[in-house]
Amino acid sequence: MSTDSAADQQAAPATGRAARRSRDAERRIDRRSLLRPGDGPMIVFEGVVKRYGKDAVGLDGVSLSIDAGEFVFLVGASGSGKSTFIRLLNREMEPTEGRVIVGGRDLGRMRRSKVPYLRRGIGCVFQDFKLLPGRSVYDNIGYALEVTGDNPRSIRRKVPEILSLVGLSDKGERLPNELSGGEQQRVSIARAFVNHPRLLIADEPTGNLDPDTSIGIMQLLYRINRTGTTVIMATHDRDLVDKMQMRVIALERGKVVRDERQARYATVEP
Amino acid sequence: MRPGFFLREAWRSIRANAAISVAATVTVMIAVFILGAVIPSFLYVQSTVDKQKDRLDISVYISDSATNAQVQGLSDRLEQMKGEGLVKSYSYVSKDDALKELKGRLNNPDIIELLPSNPLPASFKVLPTDPERNPDIAARLQDSPALDRTLENGISYAKETSDRLLKILKVIQIAGVVLIGVLLVASVLLIGNTIRLSIFARRREVEVMRLVGATNWFIRWPFVIEGIICGVIGAAAAILLIWGAKIAVVDDFVRSNTDGSLTRDEATTIGFVWLGLILIVAGGLVGALGSGITLRRFLKV
Repeated sequence: MSTDSAADQQAAPATGRAARRSRDAERRIDRRSLLRPGDGPMIVFEGVVKRYGKDAVGLDGVSLSIDAGEFVFLVGASGSGKSTFIRLLNREMEPTEGRVIVGGRDLGRMRRSKVPYLRRGIGCVFQDFKLLPGRSVYDNIGYALEVTGDNPRSIRRKVPEILSLVGLSDKGERLPNELSGGEQQRVSIARAFVNHPRLLIADEPTGNLDPDTSIGIMQLLYRINRTGTTVIMATHDRDLVDKMQMRVIALERGKVVRDERQARYATVEP
Repeated sequence: MRPGFFLREAWRSIRANAAISVAATVTVMIAVFILGAVIPSFLYVQSTVDKQKDRLDISVYISDSATNAQVQGLSDRLEQMKGEGLVKSYSYVSKDDALKELKGRLNNPDIIELLPSNPLPASFKVLPTDPERNPDIAARLQDSPALDRTLENGISYAKETSDRLLKILKVIQIAGVVLIGVLLVASVLLIGNTIRLSIFARRREVEVMRLVGATNWFIRWPFVIEGIICGVIGAAAAILLIWGAKIAVVDDFVRSNTDGSLTRDEATTIGFVWLGLILIVAGGLVGALGSGITLRRFLKV
């Protein structure tokens, strides 16, 4: 957030068209890369509590840190707080207590008008895909580029690229409901990744898919992670987690009960 | 920002939600039709009111024995009141003019020939700026020696008639304004409601747009454009209906009224082109506002 105000202060005394143009340019760049962790961690939770109403607790005092480029599994039973964790990251909701810092930015202090720019830097993948119905695969991905103000020529170049990356080159003109679940999830991943976000969050992306398809999705997310994108994936797919041997954060009733590197879904019984 | 993209988006959603788009358009059409019928009627009444007010003039009768200087004195006072804005205009009606006018009004003009001499006095016809101030004008002329005291003490204006008429006219005016206001509010609410339905049907879509980082205005523009399109089309349809009604009913009625008793006042109403323009703009505005405001609820968080 300091960079933003610093840029404004610098440009403030300057007037005239040239100055305005350079200020606009700065702002554009600033918006494109709201997430700028520098050498610091990509995600920091400091004593985060999220309550729903009186009794229901989503998260109960979570403090942790995730470095840029990490691949993290978020595991736990339904209702353990995985989804709350995910939804705090793109400010779909705000914590009752504590701080959530993403890409060096304290989300609690972020102005509401900046939230769209935050989300452009975070790819989101959901269990129910959340594709726009009535729009072709191509347009669904194109929309994510349109919102960033990308020009049509660049969109025509990027969409086929990403479609071939997820292996759906020949399905561009299909509507979402004409595709299988696995294919829809690939579209959703393509949309999440087309802006090359620094962070990708996935809430049970394989929850509706059969094991073989799940592995394909998993490989896709892994490849995205290898390009340097931090990936947070909430799941309760035991086999997948055990195979991957990545960092595992286990939640139980809103508390972190385990945080291990190169771990399995559950602790191995001695 | 990107008019082409927003237009395409708006058109896409109109086609994808055809039923609701038609419902919104028809709602606008009905509202605008009513408005389009009420506005000219109201203006007609208003114009009739003004014409009636013009009839609330004052007659100042001049004695046959008045000298030229006395008449001139009366005329000077009227001129002064005109300068003060109390009197809109005044004119001198000579004895001959008065007789001629009377002749014109009689069914059997020849009866005038039977009169030994002209019994009618000369007079000033005074048209007040505001008929409610007629008593003031009368008071300032009252002491002129030129007045013909034998006739209503020299000055006549319809005291009771004018009071009552003015009251009725005021009520008609207020009622008209209230009616138009109520209609406007009702149509905005109705249209807003219809558009709310359309947006509610697509709230999931709006949610997804927000998740991929669309700014509020980026989401809003297509909806606003869609509202404008439905509003303008609805208004255009209503104008066609009004035009049909005008040709079939009003024009016909006016034509068949050959004695001109209805149109004699030359009461005027709004031109059709202007009415159409106003209604189209109103339709578009209502559509845009309806969708823009309704969407706000879904753009929070």
